[in-house]
Amino acid sequence: MMDLGSLLYLGVTFGLFAIFAWIVIKTYSRKNRDKNEVAKYRMLNDD
Amino acid sequence: MDTPQYNTDIVRSFILWSVIWGLVAVLVGVIVSVQMTNPELNFPPYFTFGRLRPIHTNAGIYGWAVGVIFATFYYIVQRLCKIRIWSDKLATFQLWFFNATIIAAAVSLLLGYTTSKEYHELEWPVDIMVVVLWVAFSINIIMTIIKRKEEQMYISLWYMMAAIIGVAILYLVNAAAIPVSLFKSYSLYAGTNDANVQWWFGHNAVAMVLTAPPLAMFYYFLPKSTGVPIYSHKISIISFWSLIFMYLWTGAHHLLWTPVPDWIQTLAMAFSLMLIAPSWGSVINGYLSMKGQWHQMRDNYLVKFLIIGITFYGLQTLQGPMQAIRSFSAFIHYTDWVPAHIHMGTMGWVSMIAFASIYFLVPRIYNKELYSVPLANLHFWLILTGQLIWSISLWIAGVLQAGMWNAINPDGSLTYTFMETMVEMYPYWWARTIGGVIFLTGVLVFIYNLVKTIRSGEKLAPSAVTAEGRA
Ligand code: HEM
Ligand code: HEM
Repeated sequence: MMDLGSLLYLGVTFGLFAIFAWIVIKTYSRKNRDKNEVAKYRMLNDD
Repeated sequence: MDTPQYNTDIVRSFILWSVIWGLVAVLVGVIVSVQMTNPELNFPPYFTFGRLRPIHTNAGIYGWAVGVIFATFYYIVQRLCKIRIWSDKLATFQLWFFNATIIAAAVSLLLGYTTSKEYHELEWPVDIMVVVLWVAFSINIIMTIIKRKEEQMYISLWYMMAAIIGVAILYLVNAAAIPVSLFKSYSLYAGTNDANVQWWFGHNAVAMVLTAPPLAMFYYFLPKSTGVPIYSHKISIISFWSLIFMYLWTGAHHLLWTPVPDWIQTLAMAFSLMLIAPSWGSVINGYLSMKGQWHQMRDNYLVKFLIIGITFYGLQTLQGPMQAIRSFSAFIHYTDWVPAHIHMGTMGWVSMIAFASIYFLVPRIYNKELYSVPLANLHFWLILTGQLIWSISLWIAGVLQAGMWNAINPDGSLTYTFMETMVEMYPYWWARTIGGVIFLTGVLVFIYNLVKTIRSGEKLAPSAVTAEGRA
């Protein structure tokens, strides 16, 4: 049987997973599709 | 557009000191390697394997790898944020405090003061120095990022921030101890908790020192060297976040088959396997960034270091998860297989990327052309050959060792005594020393090339160095 500590550990894991899922959705959302690629071009020009 | 005035002096100084500590690490590495084949070369109490080994690991990780992290982060953060670092004074303080800390670490380890926690051996006074050092660095980088003039943060900045915050949390939690005298303290944790915290620290130190920062460097210096952007910034962001979420749970893969609760071990095993995805996200992103540019592997020595470096990262992150599987771990744990894994990571991945970064930076910050591209190529082949000999011979040794330990006679007794298994290791340990000497020769060629570059007379206009790297 899992004790309270173990359940908490698992709870934090799932919580983090939810945050991660949110980041993926946000990164690939239609709104951000082009915006998220801007940095890779701009960094070539930073001297 | 006006060009911001960047602080390059601090980058120069950190490069200089990281190379010095790197040379110390590799030299001591060769010495401890020889001490394993020739035990008569241990001179108690100071020059013994037991005291020199942690000096090797600390100089390698905290002197060489962290020194290069300081140098490259100061260079990269200013450019990606398009402003000068937040505080020049703090950076200069940090430089000298870094050297003082490394010296304090080396002296205290030589004198035998150790917490006995691997990669966290330093006793509490030196621990406090490490914390001051890291806080100074963190404040400077984070403030520069906060004050940046670029809206979007390029992927390297994400990895840098993760490393900064990650190391701070890991180090502080694992450092919790009760001092009983000036040079002795006892961990605040006991028993399996202590072991669990230690390896949560240990493996995440791999993540936050030996993985995230070299990835920050790779993502910055690869496009800068090839002249074309990375394949996908979005993939790099997703790989970043998944790597960060997954690494946290993997520490217990160092403690398989121990009294640590079974479910923690299983969780660590599962998350280690899942780590293949974000790790290979970066590897594949790197390879796809080379589309149409593969010819540069032939004629741009920087690309050679970077692509072979990321390839070793790819191999390392396939081998690591395999080692985290219980049944595989039962076979290779405690054997020489493990140091071979580590040195593919430290000599192949981390050092290849560090060498490429320094080759990229030195001609730029000194405005001089690299003294010799053929010597840089020679350096590449020497370190590649040295590392391969090191790792391949010890993988073979590890399998042989495991096989002999597991061999059982029909009556259930062990076929080989421990001494018999040790004697079998000698040829492989010799091979490792040979690999180490070849690697060391490569490092000396590298240093010679840098010194000649810096000392060479002619200064170039900044624009003339942009295409350096081409043979
Ligand atoms: C997906 C990524 C990785 C996983 C899952 C992984 C897994 C492992 C495992 C299971 C061990 C313990 C082996 C044993 O003692 O039986 C180990 C040891 C180690 N690995 Fe990895 N590894 C990964 C990547 C890396 C990378 C990139 C480096 C960089 C250099 C690295 C450096 C180390 C070090 C230093 C140790 C030795 C710890 C000790 O002293 O016991 N690993 N790794
Ligand atoms: C010529 C190059 C090198 C040689 C000859 C060498 C040699 C050695 C030897 C003999 C050991 C002890 C292995 C054992 O206990 O069985 C060791 C351990 C280690 N070295 Fe190196 N090394 C080299 C380069 C490096 C570099 C550049 C780094 C870091 C950036 C590094 C990091 C480590 C680490 C983390 C360990 C601990 C391994 C473990 O826990 O099993 N080494 N090295």
